[in-house]
Amino acid sequence: MELDSLREAFDRVVEKRVLSSTKVQEAIDQIVNEVKQVISKMQMMDTDSMDSCDHSSILAELKAKLNEMVTLNQLEGCQKELNVALSKYLKVLEKSFNTDVSKAYRNVDFEDSTVNKIIANHFYRQGLFDLGDSFVHECGESDETYLKLPFQEMYGILEAMKARNLEPALTWAANNHDKLLQNSSMLELKLHSLQFVEILTKGRRDDALQYARTHLVPFASLNKAEIQKLMACLIWVDRLEQSPYAEFVSSTHWEKLAEELIHQFCSLLGQPSDSPLSVTVSAGFQGLPTLLKLTTVMAAKKQEWQTMKQLPVPIDIGPEFQYHSVFVCPVLREQSSDENPPMLMPCGHAVSKQSITKLSKSSSRPFKCPYCPSEAVASQCKQLHF
Amino acid sequence: MEMAIDTPSPSPSVSPAPSAAAGRQTRAAESVRLEHQLVRVPLEALRATARTNHRLAEKEIAAVLSSASSASVAPGESGSAAAVEHLTSLVSRLHGLKRKMEEGARAEELQVQRCRARLDRLAAASAGDDAEWEDIRLKRILVDYMLRMSYYDTATKLAETSGIQDLVDIDVFLDAKRVIDSLRNKEIAPALAWCAENKSRLKKSKSKLEFLLRLQEFVELVKAKNFLQAISYARKYLAPWGSTHMKELQRVTATLVFRSTTNCVSYKVLFEQNQWDFLVDQFKQEFYKLYGMTLEPLLNIYLQAGLTALKTPFCFEGNCPKEDPLSLDGFRKLAEPLPFSKQHHSKLVCHITKELMDTENPPLVLPNGYVYSTKALDEMAKKNGGKITCPRTGEVCNYTELVKAYIS
Ligand SMILES: [Zn+2]
Repeated sequence: MELDSLREAFDRVVEKRVLSSTKVQEAIDQIVNEVKQVISKMQMMDTDSMDSCDHSSILAELKAKLNEMVTLNQLEGCQKELNVALSKYLKVLEKSFNTDVSKAYRNVDFEDSTVNKIIANHFYRQGLFDLGDSFVHECGESDETYLKLPFQEMYGILEAMKARNLEPALTWAANNHDKLLQNSSMLELKLHSLQFVEILTKGRRDDALQYARTHLVPFASLNKAEIQKLMACLIWVDRLEQSPYAEFVSSTHWEKLAEELIHQFCSLLGQPSDSPLSVTVSAGFQGLPTLLKLTTVMAAKKQEWQTMKQLPVPIDIGPEFQYHSVFVCPVLREQSSDENPPMLMPCGHAVSKQSITKLSKSSSRPFKCPYCPSEAVASQCKQLHF
Repeated sequence: MEMAIDTPSPSPSVSPAPSAAAGRQTRAAESVRLEHQLVRVPLEALRATARTNHRLAEKEIAAVLSSASSASVAPGESGSAAAVEHLTSLVSRLHGLKRKMEEGARAEELQVQRCRARLDRLAAASAGDDAEWEDIRLKRILVDYMLRMSYYDTATKLAETSGIQDLVDIDVFLDAKRVIDSLRNKEIAPALAWCAENKSRLKKSKSKLEFLLRLQEFVELVKAKNFLQAISYARKYLAPWGSTHMKELQRVTATLVFRSTTNCVSYKVLFEQNQWDFLVDQFKQEFYKLYGMTLEPLLNIYLQAGLTALKTPFCFEGNCPKEDPLSLDGFRKLAEPLPFSKQHHSKLVCHITKELMDTENPPLVLPNGYVYSTKALDEMAKKNGGKITCPRTGEVCNYTELVKAYIS
């Protein structure tokens, strides 16, 4: 985007606006001046003479002067210049932007109440509880705020962690001990380790040892190396920051642990760790330019956009939005399915099952891989599961 | 259902695929081009303010000039005193105008500042902090949604707590709110005043909002059984629309005969309550158009685009990962009437790490045909002395038994 040309065109608008505005002010001042002069002249004359002819001539003079000023024409001119600058800027805008982003919008049932519920829960899961409540109040979707309470708990835990208090986090982890292990998460051990280090940095070596015995030993069977490393910290008390174990006391260590807690907390709730609203809108911004071009092309070909079941072209969005493995057979250029699964040839190249049937002409004779000189027979090919 | 489009594909990703970083940059630049409304609305607001100020100045100055030139002096002392008094009143009128012009200039400056703030925001898009840019972008879009839905309090709160007042159009919408509220109270005058303010531009876009408002006013007179008044109203305000809207005009004037208790369906609708909701909608449409806004909330537009891009047949199978928005009921419901996206190239996601498997992290195949990323299997092998356990089948094999798959 040519931001510079946008700014340049806008600067012209501002310049003309200022000019037009000052011209008006000047014109008013000028008229006021003239009128005031006439007033004082008339008042001076009052004391000397009573000649109304003089007064009339002064008034006539004022009229002539005011007419000479051609103020209105000037103002009109300034306004015209401003309008020209504005239209030029508008033209630059039209060139720089997609002026109609709703071209690819489908006029389908897009229920407000569904969108509202998504927004309310977005606010809650971002920890914006006041906004969430205010929104729910205004839109009236009060019965769909199921994320409020659990996320209040999560943000409570995170707040405490920011104040270097691990108790609420530890309580939550202990309550969800089994589920965390099922997720093969070491979060509970990591929290205990951090607590151990915290006690240690306060110089309470005995307490730390005691803590390790109670809380770390139960994890020892699975995590020997980790616990040995922690115990070595005992030697470096008072100067952990300079020790090989400095990572344990760094603030990024705390941040990472907070991130992991968010991840596990959401996972146990059955919720994604990133706001699904943020994710979808970001995907929308990445995908919309392609969709807009597509609708233009389709409109030119008089093809129906509103009812089409599958897009005819791929939309290029970032790999972060890829949640499913998609295998497109390079021979047939078709997505694989249960009936036509991906197969691996002995050379390591993968094609769909139908392609192999085609290549081998349904026989057990060897055929050449379309991508390398190797040969294969159908029975050597192995179905792939992504 | 396949639909062949063989014109040059609009997607920039057709082979050879660009590098990930270049792809991201192109996408970012393309998505900034979507921000037309962001820069357009404050410009329209500035344009409107400047126009109003100019008109006021023009009108007042012309009035003062003609009043000054019509001043005359009657003979005698009282005559000159009256002339002085007249001129003095002109001076104070001019002072009043000057104050108004100063206020107007301040309003214009505020709008100029807003226009600039938005250009600065666009510059921030390429400044590198993507997370911040996307966060603010979502907030802007949410404020837009809430303003359109009349959730003014939350919209204002969100704008204030995020410090994005210059990036959203609360005052523009509050201006519209006056008209909307009055229409909901069955008052037409503010809406008509709005039409008068924007007369030339509404005419240019062939808007019939004013006609609809006039019709409603006429219908109200009929309802109140003020038939004579209704007829003279129709002569004055409806007749001028005859050339362009004759059919509707005939239909409505016929209500003079059918009255509000009519059972005739096509007339009954004119007397119904939701006619006012219809007027509110019509007003909103004209208002959006005038300010260069989309007719749909931006949020809905981007949600639809996002859902279309994310929607695959796999989302509706049992094991859709919960990081996928389409695993959630609300999103699925919204996506239902939207098309599925399409892939021209294989994209494989590692079942264990959820990362993309590509040339840097190629897919490895276990003897049972299950595929995982090199990263995941290397890690597993390191931890378990070279043993690999398939997380989905429990089968165990050696790292040495793995083979690389070449996916084109
Ligand atoms: Zn091969």
